[in-house]
Amino acid sequence: MLKIKNLHASVEDKAIIKGLDLEINPGEVHAIMGPNGAGKSTLGYVLSGRDGYEVSEGQVELEGNDLLDMEVEERAQAGLFLAFQYPVEIPGVSNMEFMKESVNAIREQQGEELLTAADFLKKAKAACKQVQLPLDFLKRGVNEGFSGGEKKRNEIMQMILLEPKLAILDESDSGLDVDALQVVADGVNSQRDGKRSFIVVTHYQRLLDYIKPDFVHILADGKIVKSGDASLAMEVEKSGYSFLGKKYEEAEA
Amino acid sequence: MSQWLTEVIESASATSDFLAPVRKKALSSLEQAGWPGRRNEAWRFTPLTSVEKRTVKAAAEVPAQDAPAIDGLSAYELIFVDGQLTSDTAQLDLPAGVTVAAFDKLDATQQDAVSSLYGQVKPQRHVFGLVNDVASAQGIFIDIAPGIKLDKVIRVTNLVTQDVDAHTRVVARIGEGASARIFEHAEGQASSMSTAFAEYAIGDNAHLEHYRFAMMTGAAKQVGGSHFKLGNASTLNSTVVGYGSELSRLDVDIIHAGEYADAKMNAVYLLAEGELFDLHSNIEHTMPNGTTEENARGIVGDRARAVFNGRIHIHRDAQKTLAELNNRNLLLSRRGLINTKPELEIYADDVKCAHGATVAEIDDEALFYLLTRGIPRSKALVMLNFGFIQELVNQIPETSIRDWLLPKLSERFATMEVK
Repeated sequence: MLKIKNLHASVEDKAIIKGLDLEINPGEVHAIMGPNGAGKSTLGYVLSGRDGYEVSEGQVELEGNDLLDMEVEERAQAGLFLAFQYPVEIPGVSNMEFMKESVNAIREQQGEELLTAADFLKKAKAACKQVQLPLDFLKRGVNEGFSGGEKKRNEIMQMILLEPKLAILDESDSGLDVDALQVVADGVNSQRDGKRSFIVVTHYQRLLDYIKPDFVHILADGKIVKSGDASLAMEVEKSGYSFLGKKYEEAEA
Repeated sequence: MSQWLTEVIESASATSDFLAPVRKKALSSLEQAGWPGRRNEAWRFTPLTSVEKRTVKAAAEVPAQDAPAIDGLSAYELIFVDGQLTSDTAQLDLPAGVTVAAFDKLDATQQDAVSSLYGQVKPQRHVFGLVNDVASAQGIFIDIAPGIKLDKVIRVTNLVTQDVDAHTRVVARIGEGASARIFEHAEGQASSMSTAFAEYAIGDNAHLEHYRFAMMTGAAKQVGGSHFKLGNASTLNSTVVGYGSELSRLDVDIIHAGEYADAKMNAVYLLAEGELFDLHSNIEHTMPNGTTEENARGIVGDRARAVFNGRIHIHRDAQKTLAELNNRNLLLSRRGLINTKPELEIYADDVKCAHGATVAEIDDEALFYLLTRGIPRSKALVMLNFGFIQELVNQIPETSIRDWLLPKLSERFATMEVK
């Protein structure tokens, strides 16, 4: 599904990702953990093609296609989805209008029939219900006036509607209470069909109680320094990032 | 002195109707006013050369026209075509207590009422306002008696179909405790010079829902204004929509003449290539405990020019006033131009006032967000830009007007290139 080889990326000439390798097969869930400033969010932005994130070296392939050669919207149309840590508010553009454009843009690119307004509404209502957002959220401006938890649930609702091949969840657990965390996790789990893959970026282990990862990677100083199974997340929860050395212990403190 | 103004003054001097005394006074002011040049602050960014050397043209014949249809709008329809009132106001089937009549159909009492209101709500005496004072042979008096809640919208449409000079006037009185919805709407693209002014005296505890859509385009030259005087605890909810044309200028004045009056005004303007639109708003808080909330948003396309001048004036006695004015603009092209000037003048010491103005390009973060959802860049730009004004349009209380307006704005926006 996704192959990242020796990725180097910088922001404003400051190197953040420094030789990252990662391979994700269809249906796998990979958790990426790491201390603050390790480059976790940068990885999501680089993969989704955000301006200002310069790739100086390395390759990234999504289903055999060169991801780095695509525009932002082409990456989404190819099946990549990024759930933002801080989703932006867009007053004046309704959630419904925005998602309908989005779903149909992706369907068009993938050669599928466009959804009618009625069909879209049916799907959107079901997705809303699944993430426990009241239906009037569809009429409101994108993320406008949503609480932190509502924004995260809205991101998951979008993911459910867009059915991406690879979803990157950038700290989707931050700022959530246990109930909201459960909703987000249930949303993700409902999409696990053995073909779809996930990168779950998280700072804490607690989300991984609900979304069981196949692999856990520790990202530090711009590269993956340790990989393992779900037990690695438990180890981080217990001992922090002490195994990375004193520098990271202090950073976390 | 401009040739056009000289001709207007000459022809106005000959008019005689029940308004002759008030017109005479305005004529004297007009003769003294002279032609505003670029050094005149009120016209600094709005060149008048296209009017200056114009020859006054009267309409020989006006074609029969209907107002543009609006699905679901239940309205008393009044229409001016090329400055001539072509509606028969006697056919309106108005409820008791409501008068809507042409100036030349008024009885003596109504004439007295119009004479006493005429020019009283319109504080700014600029040349075109004065021209309208002296030359508006065609006018309508709207009178809502105290306590009447008018169910239908009163819609006044101004259509321009040919190269004429047209000066129309509305004088309205909303009685104590009454409520009404009035929609002033102008369309046309013919080369023409029109002025259209309206004055609203809103009584104590009365409510006016008001719409002013200045939608003339092309070579049309239009200068107009909607002016409001608010009584005690009265409320005004006004929506302004502006298109650009060769010359397009709109003045909105709101005078808080009573205590606890509440005014809300939303304005959107959408200017395509090479057009000009100038919105001047002036809010006068003369009494205590008044509130004003004004939001104006504009989108300016390639080589188009917008002028926004928003003034809030808090008089010495207007304690406990709450007033906010916000003007936000989006430039679609580096060749577009926006001159915006919010002004706050405060002479009372216990008030809360704020004002702000921005001119910006598209928010990169919002654009990135839409792109990550697979929406093509060109469509994402349209959504973001249009969303910016749609937020205000969505607040229009009358759904039939909102549903009619949105696709019109959307169509207009679709012709504008985002560079």
